[in-house]
Amino acid sequence: MMNNDLRKKIVDMIYRAGEGHIPSAFSIIDIITYLYDRVLNFDPKNPVWDERDYFILSKGHGCGALYVILEKHGFITQQDLDRKSKFGGILGGHPDRTKVPGIEASTGSLGHGIVTAMGIALGLRIRNRKNKVIVLVGDGECNEGTVWETALVAANLKLGNLCCIVDNNGSTAQVLPVPDPVEKWRAFGWEAHEIDGHNEKEMEAVFKKISFQPDSKPKVVIANTIKGKGVSFMQKHGPWHYKVPDKEDMALIYKELGV
Amino acid sequence: MKEIRQEFVDTLVEVGKKDKNLVVLVGDISHYRLMPFAEACPGRYYNIGICEPTITNMAAGLSMLGFCPVVHTIAPFIVERSYEQIKLDFCYQKLGLNIMTSGSAFDYSTLGCTHHCYSDFAMLKSLPDTQIYFPASSAELNLIFKQTYNNRRVNYFRVAKVSHDIEFKEDQLKAGKGIKVKNGRDATIVVTGPELKLAVEAARSLKEKGCEVEIIYIHTIKPFDVELVARSIQKTKNVLVIEEHNKYGGIGDEVMRFAKDIDRVKYSFINIGGDFVRDYGSYEDLCEALGFTVKEVVKKIMAMKRKR
Repeated sequence: MMNNDLRKKIVDMIYRAGEGHIPSAFSIIDIITYLYDRVLNFDPKNPVWDERDYFILSKGHGCGALYVILEKHGFITQQDLDRKSKFGGILGGHPDRTKVPGIEASTGSLGHGIVTAMGIALGLRIRNRKNKVIVLVGDGECNEGTVWETALVAANLKLGNLCCIVDNNGSTAQVLPVPDPVEKWRAFGWEAHEIDGHNEKEMEAVFKKISFQPDSKPKVVIANTIKGKGVSFMQKHGPWHYKVPDKEDMALIYKELGV
Repeated sequence: MKEIRQEFVDTLVEVGKKDKNLVVLVGDISHYRLMPFAEACPGRYYNIGICEPTITNMAAGLSMLGFCPVVHTIAPFIVERSYEQIKLDFCYQKLGLNIMTSGSAFDYSTLGCTHHCYSDFAMLKSLPDTQIYFPASSAELNLIFKQTYNNRRVNYFRVAKVSHDIEFKEDQLKAGKGIKVKNGRDATIVVTGPELKLAVEAARSLKEKGCEVEIIYIHTIKPFDVELVARSIQKTKNVLVIEEHNKYGGIGDEVMRFAKDIDRVKYSFINIGGDFVRDYGSYEDLCEALGFTVKEVVKKIMAMKRKR
């Protein structure tokens, strides 16, 4: 499963914008594509439809991946992508719910989106509604204390309608590692799964298994991913974390993506 | 007069019974006291745990679904510890929140600085879309909460433990409006919180000295009732601001900012100053030590008068 057409779109957008986090978007583009194709209910014509499922990108700096998916499904336009990070545009380096249709929560400061998602899950349960809530956090974001406060609280409240995907791309491996994430989340009382975050079959198997039944354990999917997946010289934690390609880089990137 | 902390519970029960969107999240404070709310409003009361930023941030998710969340614990743990949550999860994202504190300023007088909160006006005033109330009687708490809790803004209720014990008529209590408690021509006292009691007592002593002060009581810090206060200062040209807040960014600064265009105004202040309140003792002990006394009010007013 290589969504290289979408990877190209991300790179083009960030090249034009002159800013953006390409590798952080590349590690999650396959998962987000799968969620919007196969898991989430939504209506681009009515982004605030009551029956929709909620997706929150807690690691807001990976928003390049979410923007191209929102464009693919018709929430926003190619023109919006073209104006990313420009004055007057609606798309910035982190997503803003007050401007962008389909963005549920404005994120950027790490450790907020997951807590908001838990609040939504609680609210849906109070209203006796069946919508799913899926939040995506980064492994580096798991350095934040509020992630683990949420892990405690959501398990205590039995928010089974909440699923957290951890983009385990090794961002923080050399800074403050969060080893054995499956065991950690399980110890906090979550139903924990582990997949290859670039493998559609594994995603399908896990999301078939997960029930979003309220009043059960909250779910976590540790998605083992590669930061910068798709372009060899961008992979892992290095200078490309927040670097914009020049013309020569673009040619090499296109070549590696095969586009 | 009913204890304010009891009114906090009674008001939530009263509103919660009528409005199914009211949800209360607490950080293990007032848990037993709030049992009547939990019973009257099943499924809408949560003692989340001792994790204030998370409690606050969770409320944003509830707000997105149309609920009117109330978060409650001791003031500094919400205002100061959860400041980024208030700023980003509510103000930036245009979501509504009700913060109701247990106690104000140095009400936890025996517990020390960790439980005090006297930078709250300054901190919250500087965020967009916030409204700040300091109810110091049960009637104020009840009426102002009912007027504002569902306005989709960040409403901060700095709930005093001690009341000023002065009763107002229902139609006098409007969010955003100050109250002229007493007419006078010689000086204006602008006062917020339980210190209204002090202002009234001091006014009696001043009267004996031939000085008639006007008292303006402020229960809404933001939006500030500029018109009422300005009209009074215009007349008296002397103003003393009394507030249980430090000297930075409270109503004292507010008054100076808008009164700068009024000619020949003399200003005086009684506030917490710039340090922590490092002493222990009763609330009254700390008031005495900080200069919230009749003697100090009289001294400051008479000094302004003498300079004329």
